[in-house]
Amino acid sequence: MTDTTKILPGGARRLHISADVLQLSYRLLAALLICVLLSLLTDSFLSLNNILNVLRQASLMFFVAAGLTLVVLTAGLDLSIGANVGLTACLAGTVIHVTGSPTLGVLVGIGVGAAIGLANGIMVTALRIPSFIATYGMLWILQGVAYWYMAGETIHGFPPGFRQLGSGYFLGLPIPVYLLVIFLAIGTVLAQRTTWGQEIYAIGANPVAARLSGIPVAARLLLVYTVSGTMAGLASIIFLARLNSAEADIGESLTLPAIASVLIGGTSLFGGVGTVFGTFIGALILTLVLNGMNLLQISASWQPLVTGAIVILAVWLDRMTRRRAF
Amino acid sequence: MKILTSMLALGVAGIASISAARADGETIAVFTKNQTNPYFQTVRVGADVAAKSLNAKILHYIPTKPDSIPEQLSQIEDVIVKKPSAIVFIPVDYKAMVPGAEKINGAGIPMVNVTDRSAGGKFSAFVGADDYSLGLETARYLLKSLGGKGKIVIIEGVKGSLTNVDRVRGFNDALKENPGTKLVASQPANYQRLAALQVMENLMQSNAEIDGVLAANDAMAVGAIEALDGANRKALVVGINGTKEAVDAIKSGKMLASGDYNGFVQGCLGTMIAIRELRKEPIVAEIVLAPTVITKDNYKPYDVALETRACPTWEEGSKMGMKR
Repeated sequence: MTDTTKILPGGARRLHISADVLQLSYRLLAALLICVLLSLLTDSFLSLNNILNVLRQASLMFFVAAGLTLVVLTAGLDLSIGANVGLTACLAGTVIHVTGSPTLGVLVGIGVGAAIGLANGIMVTALRIPSFIATYGMLWILQGVAYWYMAGETIHGFPPGFRQLGSGYFLGLPIPVYLLVIFLAIGTVLAQRTTWGQEIYAIGANPVAARLSGIPVAARLLLVYTVSGTMAGLASIIFLARLNSAEADIGESLTLPAIASVLIGGTSLFGGVGTVFGTFIGALILTLVLNGMNLLQISASWQPLVTGAIVILAVWLDRMTRRRAF
Repeated sequence: MKILTSMLALGVAGIASISAARADGETIAVFTKNQTNPYFQTVRVGADVAAKSLNAKILHYIPTKPDSIPEQLSQIEDVIVKKPSAIVFIPVDYKAMVPGAEKINGAGIPMVNVTDRSAGGKFSAFVGADDYSLGLETARYLLKSLGGKGKIVIIEGVKGSLTNVDRVRGFNDALKENPGTKLVASQPANYQRLAALQVMENLMQSNAEIDGVLAANDAMAVGAIEALDGANRKALVVGINGTKEAVDAIKSGKMLASGDYNGFVQGCLGTMIAIRELRKEPIVAEIVLAPTVITKDNYKPYDVALETRACPTWEEGSKMGMKR
């Protein structure tokens, strides 16, 4: 029971933030190092255009990974986010095509995403299925429905106004970058400044202690899985607008990079430690690696190796510098 | 190319007359790789259309996990129990599925190999297309449209996959024939739309001028077009597979051309050969289809619902192989 004092909301708040800020600055350092390296290696990297380009690409990955961060903070996992993006994109795409109303499409996309997240939450709390299994099963169900529904077809060609969401600019900045800032702010405030957020950290750090200290664990878990599903639904809308098309396997390649973004960003798989902002840095690092490889024209044969090496180096650098600092 | 498309249009009449004379009801099991790639849907519909006109029944076997080797193996065990009259077979992996093909041989069910040539097992025929010539012809069309000069980008598919290696080799050989062109980048996007969009966005950062894009499939070509549109830049873009989406893009002038892998015709001919063999009619042991490049001049026959397209007649189809 000695842990209880450590994770109680309120008392733990200051400790969390200072440790998190320190950790974040080391992650930022890793991202900055990659930037410095790339600007030395190629003239094309350090231009306003390319920086906006990188931010827009990173924002797509961030939307998928942001809600997942909260799930991982509770020591859970949501493996269904990629499949969620795939199915909701196809359904929202259909709604926009049939009704001609992007608003309705956006509502359906976010609504279906949220419903899937809620279903995950119910399986984890009421049915007591481990999150890995519950969301892995959900992944297959969603994929199955999407494949059956689309039957190898592609839905494409959306109204120009809707596509602005993914490819438009406002005052010289890409629209997804505004959304990125908004959701980064909401996520940070929710996790760091609200009682709900602190309770989520507490559940991840020690679920038994959290329950004993009166935190409604099931209700909070239901919330984080629903947020994760909702963010996947939102991401599917942005993908739809950016790609101007939907196909069943659109999200298949997203799940692992999203989990990687969360973990590279410093959130622990064991829960209780990490930040939403860290996940943004994780997504940024992954995006920078692809951007750098394309600019430097690294051959297809070497790209997987380079990606793996940089991801490991980025996190190792963080570990080493921190060990010295303390 | 015009000849081929008119062949397709004339196909219905020919097949209808053949099937009228037959008593029949064979069951053909068709194995494809996945439900996600539109290409295999064209093969399945081609098989359905051919079987319908010949009064045979089709049973589709599709792994729920795309390209799953264990799943296709267990489907083979199922099919041996069900014992269809014949099998049209696309292995999910041309090497790993050899034991599966041999199992079917052991059960004595005749089998036609389609699309990906199996490394082993006994097949009564092979029907496929040639990725190398497809890449070569599609790239030639783009380079000709550019007047044999300009800066070119290649967007590659999955590293190490057979189709990608051959298509990209075709692209590069076409570039060699046109010394006025310059290959400024060749980068992988794993046959995925989103990856191609981002790779293209990145390449535009380091290349102020890009005149042509050679993409190893249509999804990547369309992703590259979205990237170009988003940056208000123009380039001629070609892809491969002849998907519905590509045909729409060609029609609206967004995409220059798509090399047709002829999945529909492969499905037709594979099924026709399987049925002809059962009916003791002469067959052809190998048909490697000549590449067709779909452009604004010849897209019309492709611009219809897949189900309403007609198979070529056997007389036409058996002669559609490339002259070697």
